[in-house]
Amino acid sequence: MEQTLFYIMATVIVIATIFAISEKHPVHAIVYLVTSFFALAVVFYLLAAPLIAMFEVIIYAGAVMVLFMFVIMMLDQGSPEDAERPPLMHYLPALVLTGITLVSLVLLLTNRSPVAAAAVAPRLVSVKEFAITLFNQYGVAIEIISMQLLFAIVGVLYLGRRRKP
Amino acid sequence: MTLADIRIALPLLILAIGALLTLICGAVTRKQTIATTIAVLAAVGAGLAAMTAPAVLVAPSLGLSASGLTRLFIVCFALMSAAVLVLSSGYNVYRDIRGEEYPATILFATFGMVALACATNLLIIFLGLEAMTFGFYILVAIDREQRVSSEAGLKYLLLGAVSAAFLAFGIALLYCVAGTLGISEVMQRTLAGTPNPVALAGWACLLIGIAFKLSLVPAHLWTPDVYEAAPAPVVAFLSGASKAAAVLLLLLLLPQAGDLAILRVPLFALALFSMVVGNLAALRQNRVRRMLAYSSIAQMGYVALALLSHKGGGFQAAAFYAIAYGIMSLAAFGAIGILERNGCGANLDDYRGRGFSHPLAAGVLAIALFSLAGIPPTIGFTGKFLIFASAIRAGEIALAILGILTAAVSVYYYLRVVTALYLQRSEHEERERLGVFETAVLGLSSVLIILLGLFPSPLLDFLRTQLP
Repeated sequence: MEQTLFYIMATVIVIATIFAISEKHPVHAIVYLVTSFFALAVVFYLLAAPLIAMFEVIIYAGAVMVLFMFVIMMLDQGSPEDAERPPLMHYLPALVLTGITLVSLVLLLTNRSPVAAAAVAPRLVSVKEFAITLFNQYGVAIEIISMQLLFAIVGVLYLGRRRKP
Repeated sequence: MTLADIRIALPLLILAIGALLTLICGAVTRKQTIATTIAVLAAVGAGLAAMTAPAVLVAPSLGLSASGLTRLFIVCFALMSAAVLVLSSGYNVYRDIRGEEYPATILFATFGMVALACATNLLIIFLGLEAMTFGFYILVAIDREQRVSSEAGLKYLLLGAVSAAFLAFGIALLYCVAGTLGISEVMQRTLAGTPNPVALAGWACLLIGIAFKLSLVPAHLWTPDVYEAAPAPVVAFLSGASKAAAVLLLLLLLPQAGDLAILRVPLFALALFSMVVGNLAALRQNRVRRMLAYSSIAQMGYVALALLSHKGGGFQAAAFYAIAYGIMSLAAFGAIGILERNGCGANLDDYRGRGFSHPLAAGVLAIALFSLAGIPPTIGFTGKFLIFASAIRAGEIALAILGILTAAVSVYYYLRVVTALYLQRSEHEERERLGVFETAVLGLSSVLIILLGLFPSPLLDFLRTQLP
């Protein structure tokens, strides 16, 4: 069953990502991106990496997407009064894709035979092991990333400053 | 973490702390000179720290490399960034670029290059390269008053993001085959024996990503716009140091593999198209910076040729030429920056007669152009000689002949600028304005161009001990 679910999820991810790229309305694109991230989280769960699956949902589908939403809000395109309830056709694909993801997740969680789980997941990596590897073996990488984030802020602040009139 | 670890990581630490100090001191004092001074000191300090680091190959618990090649390039990057900072201090007044962000970002880009040089696994290589490119995204667009500058920055950012995606995807595919990110294991497992299709796809993605950083031909479209719009010292840094870093990346990876037969065809195509397209397009340019941009595409084509002919000592030639090209770009764009500051426009006609009104800057520019054209006794001649000799030794006769022919063609457009500088009179009568430090940097780089061209053996002997 794991393999079937993987292929279903992979299809969902590809379709949702194509929609996210081709959608003209930014908010719609974000909704499709979130759909794709949720499906990706299920794939990570299938790969016996529940921790990464959690990160995927919390950080990407949660924090990063909220940030995107804030940016779109601040860009202030059009007035919100005009917004109406969009026709069903506009959100039907997202609904279907999310539905498939949710059904797969429920199937996976309820229907997990111990034999199959053992075959797919020989050993689950605990949070502690993950953290020790991350901060010992890849400690330098973490520091480089932190510098990158700092300079992302510096660059954005400098380039985004208002020009002289 | 032991003392040896700290000693090896010291250049990285100095650059990171220097960048933060520059930001803080600049924000507190609001003085440009203080920020620049701190940044120059940090860059020079990082270079000195790399020179005096203990002679071990790998930091015991950090996984950072400290081989001779690594340290040589760290010193180059650090000194180049110090030189660029000195050159920018005057130029930025002219372009009205203010704020401590500029020197801090230069240090951050250097930090990325040094991290790349220290890498022993593909993750650090990727992060170092992206940290460097990240710095350049900011630096290219830093002149906010000009529209062309933002346009070039956006172009560089978009293409750079695509190339970063290619690099990351390529590294992921290689990891998929090798099961580890360590450089030597990856190289031995992905290139040896019958090629695995996944490994081939990984190498294809990786090469596309690196071709963008080196501006080799299918991925060269950003080069002319960025070279034309960015501040001149930034172009010097981008052209000299960031391309040297990309060459260093390949020099860290490729010698670890026993057999590079798989990479022959893609490197052959990259070298061929870059040499031909770069040189022919440069012939038709009337703007000096655009001409130098196309010429840099061609120069990187020669480096790709050197990497291709590794059996004849091409790795040493590539490392030598990367350093040589760094010094030449520093001299050329440093001089162009000073000429522009003294009221020189972008077109070739504006350079007419500058040799008489601005003797020092024009002289340095002429030396750099002679060297880029490969006329003895300059470092450019020695570098090109090494590359073509190694290509012939490795049996790449066709490409070597083509390279020599295109190099002969390139003499025309380089010397066109020199002719404009010296053989045509014009009515410029204004005096040359130059700082002491700028004069020192320009003088030093032109002395190095000639000195390393006449006596290349110390550097070459060192490279011979480091590379196969």
